[in-house]
Amino acid sequence: MNPISFTPAASTNMLKASQSAVTPAQAQKSFSSFLKDSIEKVNQAQVESDKLTEKLALGQNVDLHQVMIASQKASITMQMTLEIRNKAVEAYQEMMRMQV
Amino acid sequence: MSIFHSMNTTASALTAQRLRMDVVSSNMANADTTRAKLVNGEWEPYRRKSVVMQAKEDQFSSYLQTALNTSSQGAGNGVKVSKIVEDETPFQLVYDPTHPDANEEGYVQKPNVDPLKEMVDLMSATRSYEANVTVLNASKNMLMKALEIGK
Repeated sequence: MNPISFTPAASTNMLKASQSAVTPAQAQKSFSSFLKDSIEKVNQAQVESDKLTEKLALGQNVDLHQVMIASQKASITMQMTLEIRNKAVEAYQEMMRMQV
Repeated sequence: MSIFHSMNTTASALTAQRLRMDVVSSNMANADTTRAKLVNGEWEPYRRKSVVMQAKEDQFSSYLQTALNTSSQGAGNGVKVSKIVEDETPFQLVYDPTHPDANEEGYVQKPNVDPLKEMVDLMSATRSYEANVTVLNASKNMLMKALEIGK
């Protein structure tokens, strides 16, 4: 649990500072690496779930609820990724619909 | 904290309740065991076991959170079974001269397991497990509802 919260004033200051310091190329690069990291994490959740399921199937010492929770976590992260992809595609299509 | 903090907390509770259930089944299974431990060449009956649960606060992050803001505590990290202890109440004495472990007067030392108490413990563990599964489902529902924001 981290109750660290930014006050609105502090967050806008940070936004301004980051806007002035970062070039579009840098921003894009950091965004792409962020995206890559996030997808890597989603994949990790899936791999974890797979591993636990295999362990359960092999009769190794693993609790059933741990397997179920891992699969649920993987499912939720996957759903979240899908939602984000949908939003991104939606934004792209909105852009493409623009009259030039 | 990640979005799965409550799930991890619940998972620790589920693990603890599973262990409690294991201990209860061990007690039930050994309710008539007269030879559990060999003490000085004498067989001693089974002693009832029970779990000791403890809030899982010994992680560095929880101490850091407490140090960072003195006004509020962190949400906690769940529960763990710190140890399994043996019940030190005396064994039951049952008169049964035909029993191989009977003493000279014909009395047998039986384990200090009370099946009624064990049943209550069993039901408590089951209900606790169910409650924690409900918490987990609620937590998942909350996350899924959050994904529906703006749809």
